[in-house]
Parts: sequence; C-alpha cells; structure tokens
Amino acid sequence: MKAKKLALCGLLTALAVVLSLIERLFPLDAVVPVPGAKLGLANMVTLFALTRLSVREALAIAACRVAVSSLLMGSVTAFLFSLFGSMLSLFVMWALIRTEGKFCSLLGVSVAGAAAHNIGQVIAAVIWMQTTAVVAYLPLLLVMSVPLGLVTGLTCQIVLSHMKKIDFYV
Amino acid sequence: MRSKLRWGDFVIAGVVLAIAAAVALVLALGQDSGQLYAEVWQDNTLVERVALDSATDRTIDLDGHNIIVLSGKTAAIQSADCNDQVCVRTGTLTRAGQVAVCLPNRVVLRLTGETDGIDAIVS
Amino acid sequence: MRRMIAAILLLLCAAGCTLRPAGYTADFFAMDTFMSITAYGRDEQAAQQTAVRCEQRVNALEPALSRTREDSDIYRLNQAAGAVCEVSADTYAAIEAAVEYAALTGGAFDPTMAPLTDLWGVNTDAARVPAQTEIDAALARVGYQNIDLLGENQVRLLGGAQIDLGGIGKGFATDAVAKLLDDEDSVLAMLGGNIGAYGQNPSRDSGNWVVGIADPDDSADYIATVEVRDRSVVTSGDSERYFEQDGRRYHHIFDPATGYPADSGLRSVTVIDTVSTRADALTTALFVMGLEQGMAFCAAQNVAAIFVTADKQVYATDKVDEVCVFTFLGEEKGYAYAQ
Repeated sequence: MKAKKLALCGLLTALAVVLSLIERLFPLDAVVPVPGAKLGLANMVTLFALTRLSVREALAIAACRVAVSSLLMGSVTAFLFSLFGSMLSLFVMWALIRTEGKFCSLLGVSVAGAAAHNIGQVIAAVIWMQTTAVVAYLPLLLVMSVPLGLVTGLTCQIVLSHMKKIDFYV
Repeated sequence: MRSKLRWGDFVIAGVVLAIAAAVALVLALGQDSGQLYAEVWQDNTLVERVALDSATDRTIDLDGHNIIVLSGKTAAIQSADCNDQVCVRTGTLTRAGQVAVCLPNRVVLRLTGETDGIDAIVS
Repeated sequence: MRRMIAAILLLLCAAGCTLRPAGYTADFFAMDTFMSITAYGRDEQAAQQTAVRCEQRVNALEPALSRTREDSDIYRLNQAAGAVCEVSADTYAAIEAAVEYAALTGGAFDPTMAPLTDLWGVNTDAARVPAQTEIDAALARVGYQNIDLLGENQVRLLGGAQIDLGGIGKGFATDAVAKLLDDEDSVLAMLGGNIGAYGQNPSRDSGNWVVGIADPDDSADYIATVEVRDRSVVTSGDSERYFEQDGRRYHHIFDPATGYPADSGLRSVTVIDTVSTRADALTTALFVMGLEQGMAFCAAQNVAAIFVTADKQVYATDKVDEVCVFTFLGEEKGYAYAQ
C-alpha cells in the first residue's frame, strides 16, 4: 500500500511537471499584459492529490513540482514566487475541501486556489523586489483566475468521476 | 465532493472579483504612491525633507548661499553665490535619483522615491 | 506533518531573509566633487560596512592625488623644481597610469596641463581668456614626456612640468573601490562624473545596473542608457564647468595642442571600460580628438565609447554593443542616433 502511494505521488509529480512545461507553450502573458500569467494546469494535480490523497502528499507533490520545474526552466526568483504561490494556494484549497462539499464544489475550490496562487506570487514579488509596483498586476490576475480556475476545476471533476467509474482507489 | 455547483462557488467567485476590484480601486486612488521627496543636505546633514505633490510651492533659502525652489513635483537650485554655478546649470530635477550639487557650499539637493528605471546618471 | 510545516516555515523564513537586500548610501565630498556610494548587503549593517569601507578608501586616496593640499605628494613634487621626489605607492601608480594613457593617446590626454588650467582659471574667480603669449609660455611647460619615472616610487619633473591628476583621479579612486570588493559585494559608486557598477544589482532581475547618459543641455536628464555590470562608465563634457566671456563659452577640457578649450564639435564623450582610470583618461582624450579621429582611435584600440556632437548626433562605437546594452532615448529631445 505504501509503495503504491509513493508510486502514485511520483507519478503525480511527474504529471505536474509536465503540465507546467506544457503551460509554457501557451504564453498567456502574450495575450494579457501581465508578466507571470499562466493557465495554472499544475493546479489540477494539487487539487486531485488533495481530494484523493491527503494534504501531506499534496504538499510534497506541489513542493517537488515547483522545485523540479524551476530547475528545468526557471530562475531563483521564479522558484520563490511559485513556491509561495503554490503553498498559499494549497492551504486555501485544503481549508475549503475540508468542508466536504457543504459549502462549495470542486469548481469553487479550484477558483479560490487559482486566486490564492496569484496573491501568493504577488506577495512574494513585493517582498523580493522591495516594491509595491507589482501589485498593479493583481486585479487582472485575479479576474483571470475565475475562468481559469473553473476550467481546471472542471477538468479535475471529470477526471475524478471517471476514476470512480474504473474503481480507482488508493 | 459533489459535482453540483453550490452557493459557495458563487460566493468564492464573487469574493475573488471583489478583491480584484478593491485592489484596483486602492491602486487608482493611490496613483500618487510613487511619492517623491526632495532632500536638502548641507555639510552632510539633512536640512530639509519635503514630500512633493502637485501643489508644492516652496522656497528654501540657505542663508542666502543657495536658494532652492520646490514647485509641484520638481525641485531646482535657483541661485547660488558661488562662481561655478554648476548646481544652477544642473537644471530642474523631476525624477527620483536626480541630484544637484553645489560644491563650494557643500549643498546637495536630491530627489528620492521610487526610481523610474535608471540607477545613476553620468555627466 | 508538524515537522513538515516547521520545515516549510523555515524555508520561507530563510527566503524572507535573503529576500531583502538592504542598501546603504554614503554621501560625501572628496576630490573637489560630490560622491555617493551605495552598497547592498545581507542586512543594513553589512551594506553600511561596505559603503563606509569604500568611502574611507577614497578619502585615504585624496592626499595621494590632490595637487592643492600642501601636505600632498603631488604638491611636494610640483614644488621640487626638478629634484627627485619619493612619493607614496598610490601616487606613483596613478602617475604611472597617467603617463601610460598620455602615451596611448598621443598626448591628447596629458597629466601636465596644470600651468594651462591655472592660467585659464575655469571655475575660479579668476576665470579669463589669457593672452596668446601667456598661453604659449604655459604650453612650453606641458608635456607628459617631462615626467621622469625612476622606479621604486621615485619621480622627477623636467622642464618646469607640473602634474595634475584631476583627469584620472576619480577614475583611480573608482578602481581602488573596485579592488576592495569581492564577488559577493554589490556596489554602485558615483564619484563625480565617474560611475562604477560592481556586482549584482539586487533591484533588477537582470542583475545589471542601468546608467543614464546625461543630456549635455540638461544634465539632470538623460538621452540614452547603458546597462552594465562590473564596469565603469565615465563621461566628459563641456556643459558643467565653463565660463563665458564676450559672448563665448570657454569650458574646462583643454587641447594640449592649442592651449584653448578643445573645439572639436563634441558636447560629451562617454567611455565604458573595466578600468575606470583608463575610461577617465580616454573621455578627455577623445573629447580633444573630436568625432572622426576619436572613432578611429576607438576602432584601433577597441574602446567602447559614445559621442554626442554639437549638432545633436549620437555615435556609439562597435565595442559598445559587446560590453553593455545601449538604448538610445534622445529622440524627443532632438537628438539623432547615427548608426
């Protein structure tokens, strides 16, 4: 059982890294004038891990994903920004998922997670660059996080329902 | 976890958009957040530090040696009793990081605040 | 779980600590100019330490390079009337560098112009246009060949020569600051018209330093920027120190060939170099040479230089693109970038 879980974690980390790489192919910041705007595909993996595994595994997967994808293509600053964003996002989604659907569905969790990720990144940037100028990007990033969070949440929902059909349990 | 949309989903979307609007509003109101300060130094001591805004209109007279004029978001050494006049020729300072210096009187006028893209001027 | 949270908090804290590169600026007057040295470090104390160390080094150099202080080596040497003098190692090194660059530029830069600059008195109460006979007499004493470097810090001045290291003093001080620093330090030193940008700029992602090149008509504003690291940027121009007589403007950069302010059609010359002393001497020399000869000199000697002419043309040598990112911004102010 433990080995299976470990294998699944590794698999999910790899998937998250690949999704972050794929994200690179859609440079959203070319469409909207905001540096660092991303689809947030890797958020799906975190969401999945949070629902099917536990917060512990989700945390480990997210941290590994950030570290590996930063090693592959990012700078130190990018690493810190996305680590901060991912952790805040994870925390917010974890808190919402604990309500077990009484308060909101996976879609709401996903949207909140996407928004938290952006807020975390901007906070990290403010601390790092010692300037509040980056806050100017936040409103647009937040507005975008609603549709983008919906898309990732929906995808995750579909995946989960299929998983249920094939009787996939960890 | 049910897949059905719940009222909380709308609340979350609403809250996110509200935060976005609030931040945008604060930013718009605080458009002047790039606050400029004029600092007047004499003999390595800070004589005066003035926050500049569009209504600033002040003249600082350093015992007749140098007359500094702060007007709107600009500052300039208007006159100096020395013979090189380098500080007067420096002209009007408008950006953070700019400095006008009167060597004979050891007076420094400098604008501070968030810089707009350069670290230093070489002249 | 608890251990993990602790680890993450620790990581964030560690990040938070390195996240804030503290800066400290030391402003001071030395070498007849205003100087400002900004250092960055782990915390404010480290930054202050670095900045103050640099300031102390510059202040310590002042007596070694000054011509006017009576306790200085140069003053003693100039008063020695041709006798052999022993000077400090710093002074000797500076004189040696000055002679080297004078030879390199064929005398366009000359550290023995003191009699001439004293005669004109630009920036003093006595500023005036001297008579031709006076100029000729002063010029007779000018010539870097009259500096006799005897080794082991022994120097002799021949033919009534007088040394003035003003043309390279700030560059020499900038280099001295650079030598104090190690790979970890980041320092932006502005010593008068000399800028030294060393180490990584913590306020930019690129880690580079962006230096604006002043508009000769408005030195508070700039017409171009260069993005550099571990290099010095030096400008010489006619706009800061000058006097006017009979409706004509006389600035402070003299042509050793004529004894008059260099009339080469240039407003300013900027040089980007790893050695600030060299950049300092070259800006003066290139200003004297003028555009055409200066560009040829730069091509031959591989110098990164930016020329601003009186008719508002901006020229950059080929080497400029190799050593920095050059951005021309002077269009609105009526300048044109001549490729």
